[in-house]
Amino acid sequence: MAASSKSSPYLPWLSVASVAVALVVWQVVATSGIVAPELLASPAQVFGALVEILRDGYRGTTLQHNIVATLGRCLVGFLLAVALGVPLGLWMGLQPRVSAALGDIVQFLRPLPPLSYMILLILWFGTGDGSKVVLLFLTALPIIASAAMAGVRGVPQNRILAARSLGASFPQVVWNVVLPSSLPSLFTGLRIALAAAFSTVVASELLAATDGLGWMVLSASRFLRNDVILLGIIILGLTGMALGTGLQMVERRLVHWHGRG
Amino acid sequence: MAADNPAPLTRLWAWRFGSLVLVVATWAAVTTSGLVPEVFLPSPHALGTAAVEMVTEGYKDRPLWEHIGLSLMRVFTGFGLGALVGTALGLLMGWRASVNAVFSPFVEFLRPLPQLAYLVLLIVWLGIGESPKIVLLFLAALPVAAVAARDGVRRADPTRIAAARMLGASDWQIFKHVILPSALPEILIGARLALGIVYGTLIAAEIIAGSTGLGWMIVDAGRFLRSDQVFVGIFIIGFMGLALDRLLVFVERRIVHWAGR
Repeated sequence: MAASSKSSPYLPWLSVASVAVALVVWQVVATSGIVAPELLASPAQVFGALVEILRDGYRGTTLQHNIVATLGRCLVGFLLAVALGVPLGLWMGLQPRVSAALGDIVQFLRPLPPLSYMILLILWFGTGDGSKVVLLFLTALPIIASAAMAGVRGVPQNRILAARSLGASFPQVVWNVVLPSSLPSLFTGLRIALAAAFSTVVASELLAATDGLGWMVLSASRFLRNDVILLGIIILGLTGMALGTGLQMVERRLVHWHGRG
Repeated sequence: MAADNPAPLTRLWAWRFGSLVLVVATWAAVTTSGLVPEVFLPSPHALGTAAVEMVTEGYKDRPLWEHIGLSLMRVFTGFGLGALVGTALGLLMGWRASVNAVFSPFVEFLRPLPQLAYLVLLIVWLGIGESPKIVLLFLAALPVAAVAARDGVRRADPTRIAAARMLGASDWQIFKHVILPSALPEILIGARLALGIVYGTLIAAEIIAGSTGLGWMIVDAGRFLRSDQVFVGIFIIGFMGLALDRLLVFVERRIVHWAGR
């Protein structure tokens, strides 16, 4: 494709210009009076809200606290799901019996919207962080397990047979052949799982929370603080991008390292 | 290892069936013995009674199929519009680097942004009727479809494009006969991912701010501590999710099959 092969030096500037134009249009629309000010705060007001919240906090919570609360829930749930989901998926991929026994449960959970069982989790564990971490764990687990299983199934049989004929033991085959070969598929799953966990944590904070970015946005809508709503959305978008980039960096390091071995 | 002991298919069915029987038996045992209170986990029997009641009498003045129909209509409207516009935009972004440079900052921002965060803003803007939900689902599907279409276009084989060009094909002909067919598999994978996200987002939106639909139904049942009805609702939501996913797989196979010819 022509687009990707010859990337002109002016293209990044086109992106910058496009964002700048959008900001200017936003500022003009918001201040012109076409739209009621309580419906659309201007970029300048959103920046003002950022300065204000950094200085005074928002309703007794600091911005840093809310960011850490949201990210903390998301990452704890996600990492627990990685710790259990990767071995589970590998096991399911290696043993047809295990995948026969657990496959239906995983495949039912995977497309099930997480917020639907949030109601049960609140009933079981209360509205605190416990129910949210379990929710995010259950959101990410089936996605990660399916990806790990698909990764194992995609490993070329001749690689496994070659390793075995060279005298590798079963654990050696799993560690040195199966796991590295399934990493690309696994990381696709991790990316989807992390994005799903991040979306779900914010949804759960809208449903029941006393801190976090989702709570901040919902609370701002009740107090008609449109500038804070927009600020919250921008921070959430940037945080989501940062999470994706962070995972991509981990992937490059890991897959690169395995590629050498 | 999968290759070493290919278990007979009948034995795998036994494992699959056995695990489900085990789950249901454990469930029946802990609930009927009184170990877990009915409010936390209804017995299979109570679940069956609630299911029959909901199917025959509906839920709160509306027949069950109406809740299902309302949710489905929202999903298909929002997904249809978002996938259509997103795919068109993505094709352009893949085809022209300048279009990509202009739109990619917004698409990359919107994609990892938790959907429910902008639901709050949409409710402020559009009220609590159908329109904020449709716009929400439109915005949830759009970036996913756009990125898939863009990546699909980029995956088109440069030699095939060069060959078509050498044979005198116009830009439009190359787009229609070379690029679009090569991008189609990626577009359909994106559509499947987008539909899953749209469905999850809708259920979450109905839970947080709905007055009809499947999501509202379970959150309402939860308020009255009718966990039997919550469970029935979760199963319906789960099977609907599976059915939607299967539908897209079916469409995918048909279309790519046709394109392959």
